[in-house]
Amino acid sequence: MEHYKISFEDLRKLVGELLKCKYNVVSQSADGKKFIKINSESELNLNPANKPTDISMKEYFLPKSESLFFYKRNKDEIELIDVNINENKTVIIGAKPCDAAAVPVLSKVFNWDYKDEFFNSRVDKTIIIGTACRYKDSFCFCSSVGLSPDSEKGSDIFLVPLKDNFYLMKIITEKGKIFTEEFSWLSMEKTDERPEKASPEFDDSKFEYINVKTWLDENFSNDFWDGAGELCLGCAQCAYACPTCHCFDIVDESCGYSCGRRVKNWDSCQFGLFTKHASGHNPRDGQSKRYRQRISHKFKYYKDRFDEILCTGCGRCSRGCPVSINILEILQDIEECNKQ
Amino acid sequence: MNLAETAKDILKNHKAEFIIGYSKGRDGRTKPFIAKDEKGAEKLVFDHFSVNNLAVYLTRMEKPKGGKIGIVAKGCDVRAVNALIQENQIKRDEVFIIGVNCSGVVNDIDGEWNKENTQIKCKYCQLRTPNIYDILVGELEDFELPEDGQQLLMTKIENMNAEERFEFWQNEFDKCIKCYACRQVCPLCYCEQCIVEKSMPQWIETSASARGNFAWNLIRAFHLAGRCIGCHECERACPMDLPITLLTRKMGMLAGKEFGYRHGMDPSQETLIGSYNIKDNEDFIR
Repeated sequence: MEHYKISFEDLRKLVGELLKCKYNVVSQSADGKKFIKINSESELNLNPANKPTDISMKEYFLPKSESLFFYKRNKDEIELIDVNINENKTVIIGAKPCDAAAVPVLSKVFNWDYKDEFFNSRVDKTIIIGTACRYKDSFCFCSSVGLSPDSEKGSDIFLVPLKDNFYLMKIITEKGKIFTEEFSWLSMEKTDERPEKASPEFDDSKFEYINVKTWLDENFSNDFWDGAGELCLGCAQCAYACPTCHCFDIVDESCGYSCGRRVKNWDSCQFGLFTKHASGHNPRDGQSKRYRQRISHKFKYYKDRFDEILCTGCGRCSRGCPVSINILEILQDIEECNKQ
Repeated sequence: MNLAETAKDILKNHKAEFIIGYSKGRDGRTKPFIAKDEKGAEKLVFDHFSVNNLAVYLTRMEKPKGGKIGIVAKGCDVRAVNALIQENQIKRDEVFIIGVNCSGVVNDIDGEWNKENTQIKCKYCQLRTPNIYDILVGELEDFELPEDGQQLLMTKIENMNAEERFEFWQNEFDKCIKCYACRQVCPLCYCEQCIVEKSMPQWIETSASARGNFAWNLIRAFHLAGRCIGCHECERACPMDLPITLLTRKMGMLAGKEFGYRHGMDPSQETLIGSYNIKDNEDFIR
């Protein structure tokens, strides 16, 4: 792995150059609430101490609403029109470890049986420049789900802050290497300087995942769930803010008689409609059952099937929950149940 | 008696079977909590961070047989309870209202309580002491009022022409991700089946795209016309920060101006939508 030293100013210059070369450049917005496509180098918002955005960056791989194909009806014939997914190349700069790690986690489900060309083509065309994280609040728990504030998982290039507004730039993947070669004019020097790791203050574990998994394996039916889901109102803030939640619904929308499209929209297991059968029967007929599904999918089913935890510990679901349900507290409660 | 002692007494004497209130979470946040016994009652708190309108739970919870649901309610929350009674969703004798004197609540629940971090609704609040309750707790304290920035924005929008207004709302609705947090936190959004869930036919497009987002946000606003009690929970819950209470507040103001009506002020009053008066003003209908 190659290590370079690069200044913040040069990273800005890189952004300017990428924009000239018609790349989409995505960074945290100035208010830090979401990831946006920026239009000038001055908009680059890159600070390891930034709080995770309110909404994750998954929309750049899995848009909230995505056309799959269009149709036209001419008398008796129906013509199908493919969607052109050849978007410009994208560079996401300033993804936190809890943002970047979600991409390889999601790739597993999108390539498990059917290979999702929409998701895959976006991932192929995106360079993720991750940044070490030096933010911490009572909702973060990356270190408990196998990540850390210095985790490079999912990043093609990874930046770690050095002194005086410099960054250590680690080239992680082949894709990242090819990308940096394209911009060889960048004043990057190879360096032996190594930054300090995140202090324990940022990197402490809040629970042992194995305890949660062990309990979940045995307790599909347990009174615990009634209490856990009791106050959940059943909105999808948690799922839509989440970097790893990926459920979607496919519907047809017409624009009158003669044309329309098939479209894939974000969906959430927290909605009653999500599991409602055409007969009217709903196997998940209460919020507690839906909340159990959310926890079980993330911390048990996905692990069983894909050997990954479907959670990066970013804490977005907890920070944004209208009724302040804190998933970390729920997981700690589960760990406590397992000890008993 | 303070809130916790009051609550203990209520549960002990079965004035209510459980109490929906607020407690401090391990993460330091004040959050909804259900006190089911005296030990639970001790955890109940009320402070500037008690933002939630707990009346939302009244239509989402099973009613205890032969007993009442206790609820901790600020003035704006009591308006929601009253509205639910007016709309025949609950009966007055099914709830035991622990009214709390409220001296304003925060906007950002992880921030400090100060003038800048105070909800706009507190600026023009007329019910710091709830108008209906079974027991009242807490003391009123003075607090500095925030600027009513929303009123300024409303005036600005009123001065826009149709195209400019359309553009304003298009920009805002474009951000909507259809998480329906606005609907789920609303104490007056209690339909068993929401119109967006009706799929035969699909009246409202489920896509979070221009058409679907416009349809959803406007339908939501219309369904709350003259019914919104102004708790602003929808806007607080919105992860995309859409200024949706501009619509519901404006309609509430119109209901007041045209019909002299404010929803949720008197549980025995007929609703604006559900009543007809020959003297009703109609010259604004075009």
